[in-house]
Amino acid sequence: MGQVALQILQSSGQSLKIFALTLIFSLPLGFVVAAGKMSRFKIISVPVSIFIMIMRGTPLILQLIFVYFAPFYVFGFSFPRFTACIIAFVINYSAYFAEIYRGGIQSLDPGQHEAAYVLGLSKRTEFFSIKLPQVIRTVFPSIGNEVVTLVKDTALAQTIGVAELFRAAQTASARMFSVMPIFIAGLFYFIMNAVVSKAFDYFEKRMSY
Amino acid sequence: MMKKITVVLLVVLMAVASVFAGGSKEKSGDNSLEYIKSKGTFVLGLDDSFPPFGYRNEKNEIVGFDIDVAREVCKRLGVELVLQPIDWDAKETELATKQIDCIWNGFTVTEERKKALTFSDSYVNNAQAVVVMNKSSYKTLADLAGKTIGIQGGSSAGDAIEETASFKNSIKGVVEFNDNLMAIMDLEIGGCDAVVMDLLVAIEVAKTKDIRILDEVLAQEEYAVGFRLGEIKLAEAVNEQMKAMAADGTMAQIAIKWLGADITTIGK
Repeated sequence: MGQVALQILQSSGQSLKIFALTLIFSLPLGFVVAAGKMSRFKIISVPVSIFIMIMRGTPLILQLIFVYFAPFYVFGFSFPRFTACIIAFVINYSAYFAEIYRGGIQSLDPGQHEAAYVLGLSKRTEFFSIKLPQVIRTVFPSIGNEVVTLVKDTALAQTIGVAELFRAAQTASARMFSVMPIFIAGLFYFIMNAVVSKAFDYFEKRMSY
Repeated sequence: MMKKITVVLLVVLMAVASVFAGGSKEKSGDNSLEYIKSKGTFVLGLDDSFPPFGYRNEKNEIVGFDIDVAREVCKRLGVELVLQPIDWDAKETELATKQIDCIWNGFTVTEERKKALTFSDSYVNNAQAVVVMNKSSYKTLADLAGKTIGIQGGSSAGDAIEETASFKNSIKGVVEFNDNLMAIMDLEIGGCDAVVMDLLVAIEVAKTKDIRILDEVLAQEEYAVGFRLGEIKLAEAVNEQMKAMAADGTMAQIAIKWLGADITTIGK
């Protein structure tokens, strides 16, 4: 049993790598996508809207398969397995984050913009000192929700042969012909998400400005 | 509107895909062996949950009968063996897109697969066995009339059922699972009444589970290595090495280690 737990622990590194890289790239990319969707120019806002609809409207498992296999047929080359996995996760999550950011930005009272204008604040000061702090506080719980989902979604990476935590549990199951390793894997996800949830609770309290 | 665009996109992509898939039968001749030798690696694609042919041991290493044979073949060919676990349902795509160079993992030869792949000579005999709970009363295929059968999705068990019309028409339906373990678990909790799976794997499973294998099998079949369609030179090079291994006793040694007896058929 300890052996199995150790085996799962080893491959949890791969899951954490997917998790961390996805957040590092998709959190900022989400802002770009949100800005694109809110753009006054149709030539930007329409394609971005379509992108968001596709990303949110199709299963992540399909997107993984698409990013990994489709380039070969269209361009004759493929991304390395892990790279393809990260690309798929990043574009998918950036679409979700973008919609969360947009919700946060648009929930601001337009009166604030008028006040900032009257006070003669620059656009930059207005965004970074007035809007952004409020937006972050508003969207924080929703982001937390997505991050928890991301921890569990990493299990999909095995679709394109990325050996992550859940795959390790399944192969251990196959060897032992027992479901125990899969339950142990569940415990691992639970612990990881307990840490994530606690972290978000902590920062949420700190942000009660 | 959105859906239409997505559909159109998908259709275009599939059309492109099918053109490429059809066109991949190298017009310039078969350079499959040179391709492997020039890159120096031979990427073996497998479902790493398939004991005793290819699976993860306690140290998380991929081991098994096929792995040992492949390692020896690669050593003799002077290339490095790379083991790449894949999703079994995506194996044909993995191969076609050159992510892997072969499927070598208790891979059953079927008529369907022969149309899409080039196979090596078969190296071991297998059958599609019907597994039932020990305490159940089923003894023959006919006893399973009106019952539900579990299989691993994308495995040759599906083909075997499809091809045995009398059996297929008599049963209630087939439930597909991600792997054999899930199918066996479903059998244990009574979700399905029987599981169709590779005989050689079933024997392994019967060591730990309270199941038995019916005497009647669905289909006699063989395991071989699958290559991209038309890669005959590579297939022949692998055949040659496997035959040499059979001749010098290496094959028998590996078979006894993993399968308990030398049941290999190549070079005999």
